[in-house]
Amino acid sequence: MAMSSAAVFRAYRTRVLWGCGIALMLSLAACRFSSPAAILPPMTGTEPPVINVYNWSDYVAPETISRFEKETGIKVNYDVYDSNEMLEAKLLTGHSGYDVVVPSAFFLERQIREGVYRPLDKTRLTNYGNLDAKTLARVAINDPDNRYGIPYMWQTTGIGYNIDKIRAALGDDAPLDSWALVFDPKYAAKLKSCGIGFVDSPPEIFDSAQIYLGIDPNSERLEDLAAAEEVIKKIRPYVRYFNSSQYINDLANGEICLAIGFTGDVLMARERAQESGNGVKIAFMVPKEGAIFEVDFMAIPADAPHPQNAHKFLDYILRPDVVAEISSFKKYPSGNAAALAYLPAAIRDDPSIYPPPQIVARFKDHHSESLNYTRYENRAWTRVRTDR
Amino acid sequence: MKTEPGPGSAPIVEPVSTPYVRIEGVSKNYGSVLAVNDVSLDIKKGEIFCLLGASGCGKTTLLRMLAGFETPTSGRLWIDGVDVTSLPPYERPVNMMFQSYALFPHLSVESNVAFGLQQDRLPSAEIRERVAAMLQMVELTGYEKRKPHQLSGGQRQRVALARALVKRPKLLLLDEPLGALDRKLRERTQFELVNIQERLGVTFVIVTHDQEEAMTLATRIGVMNAGEILQVGEPTQVYEYPNSRYVADFIGSVNLFEGRLIEDEPGHVRIACEDFENVVYVDHGISAAPDAKVTVALRPEKILLSRQRPADLDNARPGENRVSGVVEEIAYLGEVSRYRIRLSSGRLINVSQPNLYRHADRIAWEERVWMAWDSSAPVVLAQ
Amino acid sequence: MRDQVKAWRLGRRLILGIPYAWLIVFFLVPLLIVFGISFSTPKLSMPPIEPLLSYGADQVMQVRLYASNYTFIIGDSLYLAAFANSVKVALISTLLTLLIGYPMAYGIARTSAQWRNILFLLVILPFFTSFLLRVYAWIGLLSRNGPINAILLKMGVIHAPLALLQTDFAVYLGMVYSYLPFMILPLYSAIEKLDPSLLEAAADLGCRPIKAFFRVTLPLTSEGILAGCLLVFIPAVGEYVIPALLGGPGTLMIGRVLWDEFFNNRDWPLASGVAVLTLMLLVGFVVVLQRVQSEKVVSE
Repeated sequence: MAMSSAAVFRAYRTRVLWGCGIALMLSLAACRFSSPAAILPPMTGTEPPVINVYNWSDYVAPETISRFEKETGIKVNYDVYDSNEMLEAKLLTGHSGYDVVVPSAFFLERQIREGVYRPLDKTRLTNYGNLDAKTLARVAINDPDNRYGIPYMWQTTGIGYNIDKIRAALGDDAPLDSWALVFDPKYAAKLKSCGIGFVDSPPEIFDSAQIYLGIDPNSERLEDLAAAEEVIKKIRPYVRYFNSSQYINDLANGEICLAIGFTGDVLMARERAQESGNGVKIAFMVPKEGAIFEVDFMAIPADAPHPQNAHKFLDYILRPDVVAEISSFKKYPSGNAAALAYLPAAIRDDPSIYPPPQIVARFKDHHSESLNYTRYENRAWTRVRTDR
Repeated sequence: MKTEPGPGSAPIVEPVSTPYVRIEGVSKNYGSVLAVNDVSLDIKKGEIFCLLGASGCGKTTLLRMLAGFETPTSGRLWIDGVDVTSLPPYERPVNMMFQSYALFPHLSVESNVAFGLQQDRLPSAEIRERVAAMLQMVELTGYEKRKPHQLSGGQRQRVALARALVKRPKLLLLDEPLGALDRKLRERTQFELVNIQERLGVTFVIVTHDQEEAMTLATRIGVMNAGEILQVGEPTQVYEYPNSRYVADFIGSVNLFEGRLIEDEPGHVRIACEDFENVVYVDHGISAAPDAKVTVALRPEKILLSRQRPADLDNARPGENRVSGVVEEIAYLGEVSRYRIRLSSGRLINVSQPNLYRHADRIAWEERVWMAWDSSAPVVLAQ
Repeated sequence: MRDQVKAWRLGRRLILGIPYAWLIVFFLVPLLIVFGISFSTPKLSMPPIEPLLSYGADQVMQVRLYASNYTFIIGDSLYLAAFANSVKVALISTLLTLLIGYPMAYGIARTSAQWRNILFLLVILPFFTSFLLRVYAWIGLLSRNGPINAILLKMGVIHAPLALLQTDFAVYLGMVYSYLPFMILPLYSAIEKLDPSLLEAAADLGCRPIKAFFRVTLPLTSEGILAGCLLVFIPAVGEYVIPALLGGPGTLMIGRVLWDEFFNNRDWPLASGVAVLTLMLLVGFVVVLQRVQSEKVVSE
């Protein structure tokens, strides 16, 4: 194979060069072609009864989609993703074809500035008034004037832990109300053998460490980043892994005893442990120092092919019965005030799902970071993660 | 099929020297298949011994057992007085020339030939010297750096021979050594092989299915069939005095006639065959029961063809060993012509006649001819 | 007659053109786009890159190429470390795969025909399940509460569960497990072609089996070894999934760095630069190997 290939290559050099030339021209054309959609397509005329929804995996109730299809006669093409970054890559490439997407607040914020979304036509959203005014005011820091998105579900980044194992490792003096449980090496060292897992998401971990240190998590000062890095470095030897999904199962089956993760995921682990009857008891803690408030929006991409249907879908989601069903099924609190009345008491009164006001007061809003800061943060993350 | 010594066997020649290779009661089974069945054989030093047989007769298995690639199921093998039955091939004083030559394709001619010497950890100067000498002998000097795929078939065959001989083995095994060569090259190589063997004095054991090759090369031939050795003898012996129908038929071509012994004297016998009006007269005695059913083997070249009825034999009665027929086919081959002649019984006989004269009045198709043979020509075989 | 020849030639060209067109559209063009993006800079826009072609105020077409991505990558020890570690992990994985795959391929090539088919099926069988699923299966097997630890504990070999997951061991295990078929298949076809009488000839010439393996079998199957090693090494360098799922947090590989640049840092140009350099590294590797091989062929 080897001897002939060189000779063949020489003989076909001209043809290869030609091919390269044609390909170069094609690719230049392709580069020019993908320019941002500057002008929004108008919302007039009739749209085919189709809608393309791109949502996080496992983020609706089983009946949610089929009921919408039944009621409106619009066929839903439902795709799922599992990271904001994945969604962002598709949106920024353009022509994603999606009509409804569900970005997190701090991604939505910068994507709005990049012209990714279409402003909502609130006259088409008859149920918009169901949204909680306080929540709307809160998320306006990400979506000024609530122009582009409706808040869907929200949660925080906190600590999920195995009650019995933590007690066994730390005794009764475990700080079960503080980030110190994981960020203080004194405690983390004792938890090494029973296992600590971190969600693999730099902003959440750095911001949490900054909250622990009493630093504003939205600070983009590099000293503040370095301070957070220093905290995490000290406990790095005790962290078994950084992974965004594995800790759910591992908490549930006792493989690890502590995770920094999202409310919904930890509660899912709690439920799985209960279902399996393996005796593992999981709890979720919002530390007294505060925790990052994360809200997911529903929004319509600027180049959505079916914007009218997209508004119909959003209006459907805004219905209190619909969103209450999702909340009670997925155990996420929604930003829909009217939905509270539709929730079973077990959900509404679960402080892990709907925390009391004094805990809500500890939530810290999360701004979008500048790309420049993101690079520093990710670099620090790589250093911490690989322990270099 | 087990055979008794045939009635026409030649007097047995006692081996003068002690056997160099001794095969004693060797059998080889593959599951239920018996490839070699209780073979005993002695081969003398310096012999060229040919194992001859059709494919599947067990000759290659026997050769591979001598090389050590197969272990006998029972029996023992000795080479130069040493029991080698359980020795692995790399410890036997034996080398083999493979039918496919099995030259190492990634090594040059030189390295191929040197391979065996390197295994013996000889000093490199000696290796170089011996390899060069061997290549000179097989006339491949100048081809040292070539790879096997750059050589012709005949050249490859000579490399294989050089590689097998360079270790000066006590015994050289050759598996169909000329099988892959074209006719002209075969004839030349046959004589080269014999020359080399004579010069080096190595004992050769050759496996072949080609009786002509065996006749040319061998000092002795062992004819094999169905895992057994049927007859061992010098080429003339197995040709002129086959001990069984199989051997007679396998070596050369032969006409076989069923007959009955009607006169059994120490000096001669007479056999009645249904195909002839007259009896067959044979001028030597055989050991067989009177009235026994026998087979008369008559080689085509031993039959004389003529238009006129030939004179009767002096020692026989009139008409004996004479028969007439009609020419049905003629094949002119240059040195000889082959005829197929139909007897009145309907039986076809093969006859071959040397073309002695250039402008002869040749026998033609449809002609009625007479066939005659000497009373020493027929071989009488027990059925 | 001449028209027929012409038509035949045209037909032949068309047929040969299909793979060319395929390669140009689906391989060369995307590659050149990536190559082009690697000379751009990130920008807050859709797509998040500065276009290479632009029109200035005086209607002059401008092509702007930034080499900064490459200088950045080369000047930063992180990327070098990631490249080096990727190559190290890939090399060790390839070596382990070869050491395990060779005897397996040899065994398959030397068994009877009916067994060979069954063994072949067993080698290919994992492909019937999704690659991701198989890697996830290893997570279950290797976990502290998993069956491997359970068996070892029950047998009394260990007294506390071993940390098997999130280790380098788990990465190599996953790599070898996933890439083994790619090693076995080319090795098998090379070994199967090997004439068994060559080994007999070696033995006949006084060569012991182990030495015969190194002097005859190994050199004559070197093409299969080369093909297998390339088939394992090349994807192993860029492997993302296995170290992400089975590896510990300290496993730094170029696949992860590329992912971080593209998705987390959202720096498409730098990510493209990393991709181009990775490609060049691999192409360079293949070219060197081909040179070595072809020199060997010429010298032969």
